[in-house]
Amino acid sequence: MAVVAMPLVFKTRIFDKLAASLLGVVTLIAVLAPVISPYDPLQPAGQPELGPGEGGFLLGTDSIGRDILSRVLSGWESSWFAALAVVASGLIIGGLIGLIAGATGGFVDNTLMRITDGFLALPAPVLAIAVVAALGPSLTHTLVAVAIVWWPFYARIVRGEIRSLAARPHVEAARLAGAGRIRIALRHLLPGAVPAAITTASLDIGNLILTLAGLSFLGLGQPAPAAELGADSARNLSYLLQQWWIPVMPGLAVAVLALIANLAGDGVRNLLEEEG
Amino acid sequence: MLRLIAKRLAGMAAIIFALTAVIFLLQKISPLDPVHAMLGGNASKAAIAQQRHALGLDRPILSQFWHYLGGLLHGDFGTSYRTRRPVGSDLGFFVPATLELAFYGLLFAIVLAVLLAFGTTLNWPGARLLRVVLLAGASTPAFLLAIGAIIIFYQHLGWLPATGRTDLTNAPDGPTGLLTLDGLLNGRLDVTVDAFKHLILPGLAVAAGPAVSIGRVLRSSLIGEMQSGYAKTARAKGLTEGRVLRGHVLRNSLGPALSMTGLQVGLMFAGVLVIEEIFSWPGIGQYTAQSIPVADFPAIAGVTLLLGVGYVVINTIVDILQAIADPRINI
Repeated sequence: MAVVAMPLVFKTRIFDKLAASLLGVVTLIAVLAPVISPYDPLQPAGQPELGPGEGGFLLGTDSIGRDILSRVLSGWESSWFAALAVVASGLIIGGLIGLIAGATGGFVDNTLMRITDGFLALPAPVLAIAVVAALGPSLTHTLVAVAIVWWPFYARIVRGEIRSLAARPHVEAARLAGAGRIRIALRHLLPGAVPAAITTASLDIGNLILTLAGLSFLGLGQPAPAAELGADSARNLSYLLQQWWIPVMPGLAVAVLALIANLAGDGVRNLLEEEG
Repeated sequence: MLRLIAKRLAGMAAIIFALTAVIFLLQKISPLDPVHAMLGGNASKAAIAQQRHALGLDRPILSQFWHYLGGLLHGDFGTSYRTRRPVGSDLGFFVPATLELAFYGLLFAIVLAVLLAFGTTLNWPGARLLRVVLLAGASTPAFLLAIGAIIIFYQHLGWLPATGRTDLTNAPDGPTGLLTLDGLLNGRLDVTVDAFKHLILPGLAVAAGPAVSIGRVLRSSLIGEMQSGYAKTARAKGLTEGRVLRGHVLRNSLGPALSMTGLQVGLMFAGVLVIEEIFSWPGIGQYTAQSIPVADFPAIAGVTLLLGVGYVVINTIVDILQAIADPRINI
């Protein structure tokens, strides 16, 4: 039995590691986007409305002759870092609130979790639209808006982990040894909550890419000439039936990015669960 | 049971109150001055002061909030900067189309989710393929699904229409505003059929994402329950897997799937806003898309309140349904 199972375990770990390392690959592509783009994403580079592969343009050109591949790479860069930024802020804000609530307990815990539940009871993307509308449309405002509605999820998860850790003997021992509250929270509780938080975050990147692309599609992103995957698709909808690649390619880029993020998230989860 | 319902309703009221407070605060911190937006940049100081007084903006902030809340309760959502009409009546005009799309989207999502969960639990032929298709669908933005569907089913196959709610010029406009229902009520079966055809592509585009999430949750609780003691007993009595699933396991597995459905409604509202723009659907999404570029805050606040309240109410109903489906929750 064990002989049969061994290579299987070995194999899945290899796959998980490969999947998890995709996060690094995508980040590398995003960082290098300005260098590896064949053309300037904002300037016309050839004949307008060339199909994929025509005239040396791998994904074709758009209605004014800009290289779609260069625009997709540039949009890929901003989508990826936008999603990472929101996940990071969710981890930090949600993690901090979850840690405070979980480690303090009592009245503070109750109040913070009531607020968290209130946020969770509202539809996050819709609320984000209202925040952007109040601040005025721009990519920064969209990221701020999504970050404001995104942390409660992390707060719940971190708080749950912290509460279950707080009842464990090693925390009791630390308390008896005279460790202060802050020391217990940071040294004995926080490290235990990290795996769950990282797993949640890595599975969440794909969601965020899709949500941000949807908001960008609705016009809640950078203004016109900038390359943005959702907005590029929305602005070129009128070409759908004649030059399908102009609106479709940016959308496909979102799908590829989200798929990679989901695969990588699964990989990270499997690796952390095996260790834990 | 009554106590649980009362508790849930009180929670719902508290959250809706918090939502209105958040929207009001957003309006206050917004750098856009409503008086300027209404009167334009060239208004005289006296006119601005007069308008400010008329809108009650010179009163203390709590009194303003009270006034705002009172207005909302009477259906007064303020005036749109763009259309210059009351947001309430604008919304009333656009809501039925969105409601119909969201309803069919949810229906399609539930049907697909049940097919996915039943198929993979009972190993139906083709279930694996369905699963692969749906998993790919979960990583695909709704707008790409929508434009892909238009290219395939409208442009190449010509099976289904891709724009608007109906091709008929004499479709009835009452009493409900939901075309598939109005067709039936007016004895116009052609209207119902035509409206339904128009709903298939946008409905499926809205449904794909939520269907995968709901289907996954339902599948994992079905598989868990199928291994429980009572399922073994049912099997030992000679029931087929299908009968065990439908007659014994299903009801106990519904809880998590129901709460997932409630949560997915929120994502679906956002999806509907996007999908409407692609299919030229005359609903709230179009209204929102036109309001965003001109920063028409009262209009967007109205949409947010409407969708937010809808979401909270639906989730409260889901909570109560869950307690009915599984009496163990009723403690």
